[in-house]
Amino acid sequence: MTQTLTDLSDVRRPIDKANGLPNAHYIDPVVYAEERQALLFSQWAGLAVGADVPEPGDAVPMTFMGTPLLLLRDKDGDVRVFQNICRHRGMILVEEPRKIEGAIRCPYHSWCYSTKGNLVSTPHVGGPGQNTHASINRSELGLNEVRSHVWRDVVWINLSGDAPAFEVAMSDIITRWAEFDLPVHHGGPESKFQLSVQTNWKLAVENYCESYHLPWIHPGLNSYSKLEDHYNIEKPGQFSGQGTMVYRQLTNENGDKFPDFADVGTKWNEQAEYIAAYPNVLLGVHRDHAFAIILEPRGPEETMEHVHLYYAVPGSDEGLRARNAQLWKSVFEEDIFVVEGMQKGRHAAQFDGGRFSPVMDSPTHCFHDWVAGKVETHRALAQAAE
Amino acid sequence: MTPELELDLAMITAHASQDSAALVRLYTQAADAANDLDAACFYLTHAYVFALESGAAQAHTLHARLVQHGREE
Repeated sequence: MTQTLTDLSDVRRPIDKANGLPNAHYIDPVVYAEERQALLFSQWAGLAVGADVPEPGDAVPMTFMGTPLLLLRDKDGDVRVFQNICRHRGMILVEEPRKIEGAIRCPYHSWCYSTKGNLVSTPHVGGPGQNTHASINRSELGLNEVRSHVWRDVVWINLSGDAPAFEVAMSDIITRWAEFDLPVHHGGPESKFQLSVQTNWKLAVENYCESYHLPWIHPGLNSYSKLEDHYNIEKPGQFSGQGTMVYRQLTNENGDKFPDFADVGTKWNEQAEYIAAYPNVLLGVHRDHAFAIILEPRGPEETMEHVHLYYAVPGSDEGLRARNAQLWKSVFEEDIFVVEGMQKGRHAAQFDGGRFSPVMDSPTHCFHDWVAGKVETHRALAQAAE
Repeated sequence: MTPELELDLAMITAHASQDSAALVRLYTQAADAANDLDAACFYLTHAYVFALESGAAQAHTLHARLVQHGREE
């Protein structure tokens, strides 16, 4: 019989009575493995961004929660994700980021695959110099492709293959930000950075989606975007976050600003929103730029944050882009001691998950409720299978 | 040094430097010099694979030669 690893009943109570997730959800390798299936493989999780493979043939091997994957832009320009293994002996196909000039050749016995994943050559498979065999049907032995979808340049993957279509699963956030459904242009190498954080990935989500901490952790905001200028965003089961009614555009010494996203409407003149799209993608939109943060879980207590900044037009002012990247990097670095401190706190055995502010913490509670619901569903399915 | 040994050394060097163009050329050369069909198709296969991997234009011709001998689909 499946052992219930944690009691989540308190997590799902109304916020004024709820506790946060139990410690085990942040430190226990067994719960981490359970959540890998329940929260990441079964959902649309963020893997990378399209800008990681800008040209046809660009290939980047990556590991997502232990699974070797290959991010690839095929010859027609479509982004694809494959399991990075040969269908012959399971050998890793691509070890380092590189350009695929023609075909992907397995370095072991040289089976070759097109950039669309088709098996195109099986050298000596029928004996020396005989490259076919009746039992080797190439059309059945293409690379294992992972279901993927690109939205706002984020490459989302559904490893289990059975989640609802992306447009269905993410319909509410797509609708909410319909005015921003415009091309986004990555700011280039200076507009991306990584932050290695000793924390469970969920604490990064939780800290991102609430505004309660802003005046204390980001005091620089107090002069123009006060706590009372913020509002909570909650869509149970899908996303939560925060918005501000006072967004101030960045300017340089000449008073120049980034060009706006065209036709986003006056609503967004001073408004900006920051949403955690469950499970692991943190998004921000402003009238003149946007960002995406992919949280890469690297273990129960380790997360790599991949930050990418986007603009309305290609080739915007280089100096402004550098300044904006530095600004956001400073803000996100201010959050590191918080998420690492909360992670350390999860080793206090008496911690009961904590009590929430019923007013200020509801985006976090919304996320916890989603986690608990997905984990409970996963456990119920596992039990039924037994 | 015999021509065969010379070709063999050139292939080893091309493998070591991952010189796709040289690998395609040298394996094609070995195929053309082979005395029997099996040996020729062995070398043609290697030439074809390296042409395929590197996106070389010879891939089409090499594929056609292997198909002609019933060694490729």
